[in-house]
Amino acid sequence: MAAAVPENLAPTYADVDRGVLGIMSTPGAIFWIWVAFCFSLVGIAVLLWARQIYEGLGVTGLKQPTMWAVYITNFVFWVGIAHSGTLISAILYLFRSRWRTGVYRAAETMTLFAVMTAGLFPMIHLGRVWFLYWLLPYPNERYLQPDFRSPLVWDAFAVSTYLTISALFLFMGMIPDAATARENAVGWRKKFYGLFAMGWQGTQRQWHHFSMAYLLLAGLATPLVISVHSVVSWDFAMAQLPGWHSTIFAPYFVAGAIFSGVALVITLLIPMRKWLHIEDLITLWHMDNLAKIVLLMSLVVSYSYLCESFMTWYSGDKIEQMTFHMRYFGPQGYLFWIMVACNCVIPLFLFSPRIRVNMKALWIISIFVNIGMWLERFVIIAGSLAVNFNPAQWGYFKPSITEIMITVGSFAWFLGLFSLFAKFLPIVSMTELKEGIVWLRQAIQKGNTVDY
Amino acid sequence: MPEGMSRRSFIKLAAVATTAAALPGCEPAARKLIPYVVPDENVTPGMPTYYASSCSECGAGCGIIATVREGRATTLAGNPANPISLGAICARGQAAVQGLYNPDRLRDPMRRTQNGRLVQISWDDAEQMLTKRLAAASKAGKDRVALMRAPDGPTFAKITKTFLGAYGSTQDIVYESVSVEAARNAAQTLFGRTDLPVYKLSEAETIISFDSDFLETAISPVEMGRGYAEFRTPKQRRGELSIGHAFYVGPRMNMTAAKCDDWVAVAPGAEAQVAWAVLHELVAQRWVSQNSGVDLDELTTMVSAYDPAAVSQRTGVSADLIRRMAQAFGKSDGAVALAAGDDESLHLAAYILNAVTGNIGRTMNFLAGPTPPPPASLNDLGGALTAMRDGKIDVLVINNVNPVFTMPPTLRAAESLQRVPFVVWMGTVPDETANMASLLLPTDHPLESWRDSAPRPGIRTLGQPVTQRIAESRPAGDLLLAAAAKVSTNLPWKTTADAVKAEWLALGPQNDTDAQTEFWTKVRREGGIYSNPTAAPVKLSTKGVKTPPPGDAASAELTFITFPHIFLYDGRGADKPWLQEIPDPVNQIVWDSWAEINPDTAKKLGIAKDELIELKTEHGVIEVPALVSKYVHPNAIAVPLGQGHQAYGRYANNRGANPWQIVAAGSMRITVAARGTGKSRRLITPLGKSDMMGRSIIEAMSLTDLQKGIVPPTGEQEAPKPWEMYPQYAYNVHKWGMTIDVNACTGCSACVAACYAENNLPVVGKELVDEGRIMSWMRIERFFPDTDENAPNIYVTPMLCQQCNHAPCEPVCPVFAAYHTQEGLNGQVYNRCVGTRYCENNCPYKVRRFNWYEPHWDEPLDLQLNPDVTVRGAGVMEKCTFCIQRIQHAEITARIENRPVRDGEIVTACEGACPTRAISFGDMNDKESAMMKRRDENSLRNYVMLGELNTQPAIVYLRDMYHEKGKA
Repeated sequence: MAAAVPENLAPTYADVDRGVLGIMSTPGAIFWIWVAFCFSLVGIAVLLWARQIYEGLGVTGLKQPTMWAVYITNFVFWVGIAHSGTLISAILYLFRSRWRTGVYRAAETMTLFAVMTAGLFPMIHLGRVWFLYWLLPYPNERYLQPDFRSPLVWDAFAVSTYLTISALFLFMGMIPDAATARENAVGWRKKFYGLFAMGWQGTQRQWHHFSMAYLLLAGLATPLVISVHSVVSWDFAMAQLPGWHSTIFAPYFVAGAIFSGVALVITLLIPMRKWLHIEDLITLWHMDNLAKIVLLMSLVVSYSYLCESFMTWYSGDKIEQMTFHMRYFGPQGYLFWIMVACNCVIPLFLFSPRIRVNMKALWIISIFVNIGMWLERFVIIAGSLAVNFNPAQWGYFKPSITEIMITVGSFAWFLGLFSLFAKFLPIVSMTELKEGIVWLRQAIQKGNTVDY
Repeated sequence: MPEGMSRRSFIKLAAVATTAAALPGCEPAARKLIPYVVPDENVTPGMPTYYASSCSECGAGCGIIATVREGRATTLAGNPANPISLGAICARGQAAVQGLYNPDRLRDPMRRTQNGRLVQISWDDAEQMLTKRLAAASKAGKDRVALMRAPDGPTFAKITKTFLGAYGSTQDIVYESVSVEAARNAAQTLFGRTDLPVYKLSEAETIISFDSDFLETAISPVEMGRGYAEFRTPKQRRGELSIGHAFYVGPRMNMTAAKCDDWVAVAPGAEAQVAWAVLHELVAQRWVSQNSGVDLDELTTMVSAYDPAAVSQRTGVSADLIRRMAQAFGKSDGAVALAAGDDESLHLAAYILNAVTGNIGRTMNFLAGPTPPPPASLNDLGGALTAMRDGKIDVLVINNVNPVFTMPPTLRAAESLQRVPFVVWMGTVPDETANMASLLLPTDHPLESWRDSAPRPGIRTLGQPVTQRIAESRPAGDLLLAAAAKVSTNLPWKTTADAVKAEWLALGPQNDTDAQTEFWTKVRREGGIYSNPTAAPVKLSTKGVKTPPPGDAASAELTFITFPHIFLYDGRGADKPWLQEIPDPVNQIVWDSWAEINPDTAKKLGIAKDELIELKTEHGVIEVPALVSKYVHPNAIAVPLGQGHQAYGRYANNRGANPWQIVAAGSMRITVAARGTGKSRRLITPLGKSDMMGRSIIEAMSLTDLQKGIVPPTGEQEAPKPWEMYPQYAYNVHKWGMTIDVNACTGCSACVAACYAENNLPVVGKELVDEGRIMSWMRIERFFPDTDENAPNIYVTPMLCQQCNHAPCEPVCPVFAAYHTQEGLNGQVYNRCVGTRYCENNCPYKVRRFNWYEPHWDEPLDLQLNPDVTVRGAGVMEKCTFCIQRIQHAEITARIENRPVRDGEIVTACEGACPTRAISFGDMNDKESAMMKRRDENSLRNYVMLGELNTQPAIVYLRDMYHEKGKA
C-alpha cells in the first residue's frame, strides 16, 4: 500500500523493542500445550523410528521397486523449504530489498529448522543408520573413504554445509538483537540471551565487523541456495531412471524449493503475526511481496512441468514416454493432477492484489502449495521408481502408518522448534527494523511516497 | 559319456571321486553336527565334502551329489554320472534338503490315546506296541496286515516282502497318486509291454504332445528338458538350419505348451479326437514308414471316423492345423508323440503315431531288461481299500504316502483307514494320513538313509545317507525288519543298510573280496550302476484298440481339470518353503492355489479376478480364487494340485484348496458347476506387468531370420558410444561372464531353487511377497507376447544380476559397498552396506534385493545354510555375484596347485542346476572358453538386455527361437 506516512505514525526504536521483546514475554498455558502437543507427536515418531531400527525397514511401505518414497520425499521437501529462508535473508539482502527486514529472521529460523528436519530423513531412511558416518570422509585405519562419484555423498556435503552456513547466518545476525534482549532481561533470561549475544557491546568497531561478516556470509549463502538444491536434484538426475534422468532437474528443483519455501514462510507468518500481535512489524506489504514470489515461482514450476513433458515427447524415448504416461494416467495419476491443481492452478489467484492481502485466502493458497510441492516430489520419486525399465518389476508404493506418523512427526518437530524459537528468541530482527526506521524517516522528511 | 561332460561335469565328478571314496563313508558315527573336539581326520573344516546319492522326490531316478559341510548337507546338485540327471536336478530335487531339515518333522514316536491326543513314547514302547498288534493280526489269519507305500525301490520292496511274509500277508500296496495306468494299459494293448517307453526328444524334428507336460511333471523334467533343449537348438538337419517344431494339444497352456510352437487349445477330452485325426491324415497321405510293421489297411478303417474336417467340426480345432501337424509329423526325420492323462485312446493314438512313422526304436523305445513293477492299479487299490472297510485288515502300515490327502473321495480312503483297528504311519512330516494313525513312527528322510531305485532298465541308483539324523528317526526298512525279526529267525538282513549292501554286492563281482570292496566303493562314488540298454524289439498289434467315441467332444459342458503342480506335484512339495515361494513359471503365483478360467467363461459366469469360485462336482466342493487367463480353454477350469493341506506342517497348512477332493478316482477331469461366491482372495505374485512393452528384455527371432542371417531389430535404438569419463577397467586376469540361451530355457526354475540353496536366501512368506519383499536374487522373468503374430507363446528367461561393466548400481553407492571387482563382477560388500538402496533404484534390471527384516529360518532349516556365504542382516542390500564363493574356491585351489583356473572349473549354482544347460559361465578374457564359443557360434542370436542403456552387461543372452506362424 502506497501512502504518505505522517511522521508521528512512523514507529520509533522503542516501538520496535517493545513489539519484539513483547513477543518474548513469559509464555502462557496455551503455548505450552501447543508445544507439548508438537513434541508428543515427535515422541510417537521417535518411537516408531526406534521400532523401525529394531525391526528393519519392513515396517515401512517401501518395496521392490520403490526403494525410496516418503522419507526421501520428506527430505527433498524440507530441504526445499529451507531454501526460501536463505533466499529471503541472503539474496534479498544482497539486492537490498527493504521489505525483507520484517520477515527475514522468521525465514532464516525456518531455514535452520527445515534443514535440521531434512537432515533427519536420510538417517531415518537408511537401512543401517548406525553406520551413517560412513558417508563422511573421516580418517580411519582401513583407508576407506566414501565414493565421491555418488550423489549421496555430494548430498551429505551439501546438506551439512548448508546447515552450518544457515546456523551461522542466523545466530550471527541475531547477535545485536540478543544483546538488546539481554539488556532488557533479568534472571536466567539475561544469561540465556547473553549466550546468544556473545559479548556484544554495540561499539562502532563491532558494528563494522558485524556488517562485514554479515555481508560475507550472505555472499557465501547465496550460491548455496542454488547449489544445495541442485545437488539434491542430482540424487535423481544422476540416476538413469526414466523420470529422474533429466538435465532440467537442477533449476526445476531450485524453483520448486523457493516456491514451496516461500509458501511455507507465508503459512507460518500469517498465524504468527496475528497471535504474536506483530501486524505492525510484519505488514501486509511484506505479505504481498511474499505472495508475488509464490506467484512467480508457480509460473516457473508450471513452465518446468511443461518443459519436462515436452522434452519427453520430443526425445522420442518410448520408455520415458511410458513413465510420463503412467505419471499422468497411471493408477496413481490422480496425485499428479492434484499436484497440478495445487502448484499451477490455485496460485494463479494471486494475480489478484486483493487476494494477495487477504490473509485467509493467502494462507489457504499457501497450504495448497505446500501439499502440491510435497506431492510433486512424491510423484517424481516414488512414481518414477514404480514404472522402471523392467515392466515385470513394476509396482506402486503405499505408505505405512510408520511413514505417515514420522512425516507428521517431522512437521510437529519443525513447528515445535519454530514455536520455541519464536517465543524465546527475537523472531523479528530489531536491528534491521531500526535501520528501516532510519530509512523511513529520511523518506518521510523528503516527502516521498513509500510502500508501507 | 555324453557330450558336454568334460566341460561342466569333470570337476564335479573328480571331486566326488576323490572325496567320497576317501571318506569314512556313511557310517553316521563318523559325523557330528557339533564342532569337532577330536577332529575327524578326513574332514577339513571349511572344505565341503561330496556324496553321491539318489533323488527320491519323484520316480524319475535322477542322481544327486550332496554337498556336505561339517556334517550338514547344504545343497544338492545333479550327479553327472547318472544318465538321467547328467549333472542337473530340478527345483523339487533341490528342495529335498528342506524336507530333511523341515521343522515340522516328527521327532519322536507318538501314540494316539483313546481321546485322540498324541503322546510321545519311547522307541522300545513303540516297537513293542507294533509287534504286539502285528502278532495278534497274523494270528487272526492270513493277509490281515497290509503295507501301503510309495514305489521305494527294489531293495525296499524286498524288505517289505520279508516283513509281510513274516506276518503272513501279501498285502503290499504300492501307491502312486498321479496314475499312469492309461499309458500302461495302452502299451499293454499295443505292444504287450507292462512298462512305459523312454523318449529321446533330441532325435526328433517334430514333437506333438497331447497334454503331456513333459517339461514339468510328466516323466523326468530333467531328462526331457535336456532333450527338448537339444531338439530346439538350431542345427543343420537335412542340409538346412532348423529347430525342432513342437505342437501341444491340450486345454491349458502350461509351461510345456508355452515352450512349444503351437499351443492347440482344445476342450478337455477332445485331445484324443485330434490325435486320431492326425493319425487319419498321416494314413490318408501315406506319410508313414514303409517298414513300421503296422497293418495300414486295418488302421485306415480304424481312423475312418476321424477325418480332420469332421474332427474340426467336433472339436473346433482347424482342419488345416490338424493337417499341418500331420504333415510335420509324417515328413520329419524323427518325430515323437507324447500323451498324458487318463484317456487310454489318447495314449493309443500317440503310440500308433510313433509306430506308424517308424519312430519306435528311435525317439520312443521300450528298453530291454528288468522293468520296475507298476504301482497298484486302480482296481487293486479299490480292492485293498474295500478289504479295509470290510474289516479284513487289522494292521495297516503306511510308509511315505499320503492316501488321505491324495485319494479322491470315490476311494473313501479316510473311511477305510478308520475301519482299520491299528494304523501305523511312518514318515517324516506328519500329514493328513498321520492324523488317522494310532501309532506314528518318525522315519529317516531319504537323505539320511540307504535306499536304491531301478527306474528303468540300465539304470540302478544307489542312495546313501549324506548326513546324520537330525531327529530321533529310524529307517523305515529297519523298523519293518525289526518287527519281522520278532517272529522270524532266518531273515536275510537285519537293517536296511545291510539289505542295500547285500543286494548291491550281488550285482557286482562275486567270490573276490577285494573286487567287491572296490565295486562297493565305485557304486557309492558314482551313485549307481549305469549301462546303455538296447531297445527291446516290439511289434504293434492293433487288436483291442479302443478309439475315442466320435461324439461331440467340444460340448459346452464346463470341465474341471486338475494337474500336478510343477513344484508341489500332488501335494508332497507343499511342506518345503522354497517350493511354495518360487513362483510357478507360467502364472507366477506363490503360496496358493488358483483356478484358471478363460475370460469368456468368467464373463459368462460373472466371475471377477481373484474372486473365489465355488467348484462343485458330484464328489465335493472347493473354493479357489479365479485367475482369469486366456491361456485356458473356455470349457475348462484348471486348478493345480498341491495345496489344500490341513496337516502337513506350517508351510503347507491352510493354503488353497485340494482338487483331489472333487475328482473321481482314475481321472483328473470331471464335469463341474462353477459359480462366483462374491468373496475374494488375492492371488499373490511378485510379478508386475506381463507386457514387455517392446523393450529389449527378452528377445526372440524367427527361424527364417536365422536362416537368412538377418539380425532382428532390437527393442530400442542402438547403444550410443559416448565419451567415457572414467578409464575402462582392465580385467587383467579374468572377466567373468555368462551366456544364457533363452531358447533353451524352459522356465523350470531349477536355477532359482539352486540360488536359494547356495546363497542362503531367506523365504519371506506369502504376505511379504505381496508386499514386494521377495528375496530371490534370481528369478524367471516371464512375459506374454502382446501380439498373436510371430512371437513365442511365452517369454521366459533367468533374470539375475547382469554384472555390468558400466554398472549403474556402482557409482551411486556412497560407501563403495557396491563396487567393481577386478574380475568384472558387481561386488557387494554386505558389511559395508549402509542401506541407502540407491543401487536398486538405479538398476534397470531390478535384480538387487534389500533385507527389509532380519532374515529368519525356522530351526532346523538353518542347518542348510551354506557357510561360504554370509547371512545378510536387516538393512543390507544383497545380490547375485555369480556365486563369488565358488569363484574364490576355484581360484584359491588353482593358486595352491600353481596353475590357471581351468575353463569349466567354476560352475555357478544356477548353471549347475540347469537341466537344459541354458546357462554357461566362463571367462570372457578366454576366447576359447565354452561360454565365449557359445556366443560366437550363435552370434546372430546374441543380445544384451536393455542394451541401449550402455550398461555393457557380462551376460549375453541368445535369442529365443520361433517358427513363423503357418510355417511348419
